Amino acid sequence: MDLRYGVEDDDFRAEVREWLEQNLRGEFARLRGTGGSGREHEEIELRMAWERALGAAGWIGLGLPREWGGRSATLLQQVIFAEEYAKADAPGRVNHMGEHLLAPTLVTFGAITLQRRFLPGILRGEELWCQGYSEPGAGSDLAAVRTRALLEDGSWRIDGQKVWTSNAAFADWCFVLVRTEPGSERHRGLSYLLVPMRQPGIEVRPIVQITGTSEFSEVFFDGARTDASCIVGEAGDGWRVAMGTLGFERGVATLAQQIGFERELAHVLELARANGTIADPDISARIIDAWIELRVMRYHALRTLGSIEPGAASVSKLLWANWHRRLGELAIDVRGPGATTLTGTPYELDREQALFLFSRADTIYAGSNEIQRNIIADRVLGLPRR
Amino acid sequence: MRFEFSEDQQELRQTVRGFLERHATPDVVRAAAEQGSGFAGSLWKRLVTEMELTSLAIDPALGGAGASFVEVGIALEELGRTLLPVPFLPTVVAAAALSEAADHHGAVPLLERIVAGAAATIALDAAHASATSRGGAITVSGTVPFVADGAHAEFALLATTLDNQPALLAVELAGPGAQLDAQPTLDQTRSLATLTLSSAPAACLTAPAAGAQAIARARDVLAVASAMESIGAAARCLELTLAYLHDRHQFGRPIGSFQALKHRCADLHVALEPARSTAYYATWTVTGAPDELAVVGPLAQLVAGDALLAISRESIQLHGGIGFTWEHDAHLFFKRAKSSELLCGGRRALRTLIGQRAGIV
Repeated sequence: MDLRYGVEDDDFRAEVREWLEQNLRGEFARLRGTGGSGREHEEIELRMAWERALGAAGWIGLGLPREWGGRSATLLQQVIFAEEYAKADAPGRVNHMGEHLLAPTLVTFGAITLQRRFLPGILRGEELWCQGYSEPGAGSDLAAVRTRALLEDGSWRIDGQKVWTSNAAFADWCFVLVRTEPGSERHRGLSYLLVPMRQPGIEVRPIVQITGTSEFSEVFFDGARTDASCIVGEAGDGWRVAMGTLGFERGVATLAQQIGFERELAHVLELARANGTIADPDISARIIDAWIELRVMRYHALRTLGSIEPGAASVSKLLWANWHRRLGELAIDVRGPGATTLTGTPYELDREQALFLFSRADTIYAGSNEIQRNIIADRVLGLPRR
Repeated sequence: MRFEFSEDQQELRQTVRGFLERHATPDVVRAAAEQGSGFAGSLWKRLVTEMELTSLAIDPALGGAGASFVEVGIALEELGRTLLPVPFLPTVVAAAALSEAADHHGAVPLLERIVAGAAATIALDAAHASATSRGGAITVSGTVPFVADGAHAEFALLATTLDNQPALLAVELAGPGAQLDAQPTLDQTRSLATLTLSSAPAACLTAPAAGAQAIARARDVLAVASAMESIGAAARCLELTLAYLHDRHQFGRPIGSFQALKHRCADLHVALEPARSTAYYATWTVTGAPDELAVVGPLAQLVAGDALLAISRESIQLHGGIGFTWEHDAHLFFKRAKSSELLCGGRRALRTLIGQRAGIV
C-alpha cells in the first residue's frame, strides 16, 4: 500500500494543467462552469467547438490503445486528466456517451470496419453520440425492450420509441438496443445498432423535467434507417454488448465527479457562513457530515479504481447519488425562505434551486437505487433469488 | 499509487486469520468474556510470544519486526472479527506512542518489555490526573476511569499535566500508589478498570513543549486502531447475518430471498465497504502521510463506528427472536459497537472535532 503519486504522474498532471490554462482562454473562457448535469442546454455550440479543440490536442480517448488514436494512458493518468479538467472548471463534456461508452464498446466488440469508421470522429470530437436504451416499457427492466429493427434492402429499418435519451437534440448518432428477432423474448434476439440521428424517420421530443429544463428527450423511430453494417457484435448478441458498455466505467469518472462535488459543497458552506445559518447546529452538522462523506467517497473510489468486481459500480452509484440528493436538500435549507421565489420567469432557477430539483434524478437514472441494491444483494452478497 | 496490500501484508492477514479461526473460536471468546473477567490469558500469551503481534511495528533494533501501522491495522482488523478479549489494541497504540518518543527518556525499555510480551494500556483524557516533579522525581495523582484492559497491563501511558504542562507519562500499574479496580462491563469482551493514583511514581515521555502534540497524535492513532477493529467486527457480523438469511426458511423459502431484507443488507454493504476503504487509508497515513492523520484518524473512527453500529443493530433484527437471546453472538457485536462509540466520547463530539480540523466550524 502506497498512496503517493509517482513523479511521472506529477509530470502528466502539470502537462494537463498547463494545456487547460493555455486553452480555456479567449472565447472559451466563458465556458468555465457551463454544462454538466442539469445544465446541458448551456453554450451548446461553443462546447461542441471546445470538444473539437480537445480532440485536436489528443485529450479524448486517453485510455484507448495508441493504434486507435488514444494515448494508452493508465487509469491513474485518466483520473489525473479528469481531476485537472474538473479543477479548471472546464465545461461539461458534450460527448461523454461517445468517448466513455461507445468507443470502448467498439474496441471490444466492433468489427474493424466500424472501428475505422467511428473511432476517429469520437477522438476528434466531431461526431457526437447519444444512447438509446430505455423505453417507456423498459426502464429498470431493460430486457423488456420492444423497439424493433428488420433488415430490408441492405439496411436496418427501425420502428419504436426510446426515452430518457441525453443530448439527443444535438447528437449525430445514437447507439440503440433493438429487437431484431421478431417474437423473441427478454435478453435473446436483441441487437446493438448504430443509427444516424439526422434523418426523416427520427423525431426528437424534449422532455420537460421538474426543473423546467430539458436534458432528456424521447426519440421516436418511424421507419428510420441505418446501413446493414452498422451493428456492433452479431445480430441477436445485443444484450451482451449493451452490458459490456455499462461495464466500462471503472471508477475514473467517479473520482473526477468528486471535484465538482467539492466545489458545490464549498459553495453551500460559503452561503451558510454568509447568511449565518452555519450557527444552526443542524445545518453545521449536515455540512460536516457531507464533507466527511465526500472524503469517504474519495478513499473508496481510490481503493476500487479499476475494479471489475460485480457490484463495485453499484456501491459507488448509491454513494454519490444519495450524497448529491442530500446536498440538494442541504443547499435549499441553507438558502431558507428566499429559495421559495424565482429569479426570473418562466421558471428560472438559481444554483441551489437547480441542485435541489435536479438531484432527484440522480437516484433514478443510470440504474435506480433499487436496482443497484438488487445487484449488490444478488451478485455481491449472494443472497438467494427465491 | 497502489491501494492494494502487498503480498507480505496479505500473507500476514492469512496467518493471523488462520490462527484465530483455529483458536479464538466463539466458545473461547464466550468463556473469556463471561468467566475470565474479559481476558483470554493463554491465547494472549501465544499471540504475543508465538505470533509476535504486538511487536510488529517496533524497531528491529529493539527486537520488533519494523513493519508499518498498516500491518498493525491488519492484525487489529482480524482480532476485531473475533471480539477476542485481549489487550491488543491499547498495547499497540501504546507501542506506537512509545516508538515516537523512542529517543526520549524511558521509552526504549518499555518497548523492550512489549517485545518480551508485556501488555500496556493507554488513557488519553488528560482531565483525570495531574503530575508534579520534585527534585527530578515525578509523581502522579488522580482517578482515571474506563482504562481499557487495565487489569491485564503491566504499565500505562497517561495523558496528563506535568507541572501544568501537557505531558505523556508512563506509570507502573503494579507499583506503589497505583490501584486498579476492574469494572463489570456492558460489553463483556472488553475489560475496563478504574485506575486510582496516589502520588504514584511516573516517567515523562515527552519534552515540555511537545506534550500536547504527542497526546493529540496518540489519540489519532488510537482512533485509527479503533476503526480497524470496528471494521473487522462489522464484516464478521454481516457475514454471520447473511449466512443466517440463507439458512433460515419461512413461508417455504430462505428469508434472504425477500427483497425487503435484501435491500437492507445491500445498504449495510454500502456502509461497510467505504468505511473499510477509509480505515485502510487511515492506517497508511500514520506513517505515510502524518499531516493528514489529524483529520483522517477521527474520520475513520466515525465511519467505521457507524458501520459497526448499523450492521450490529440490523443483525439482531434480521436474526429475529434468536438474535435477542443471550446464547446467540449477535448481542456481543451490538454491545461492542455501542461501547466503542461511547468510549471515544460519542459520535457528536467526534463529528465536531472533524469539522473543526477541516476548518468548517
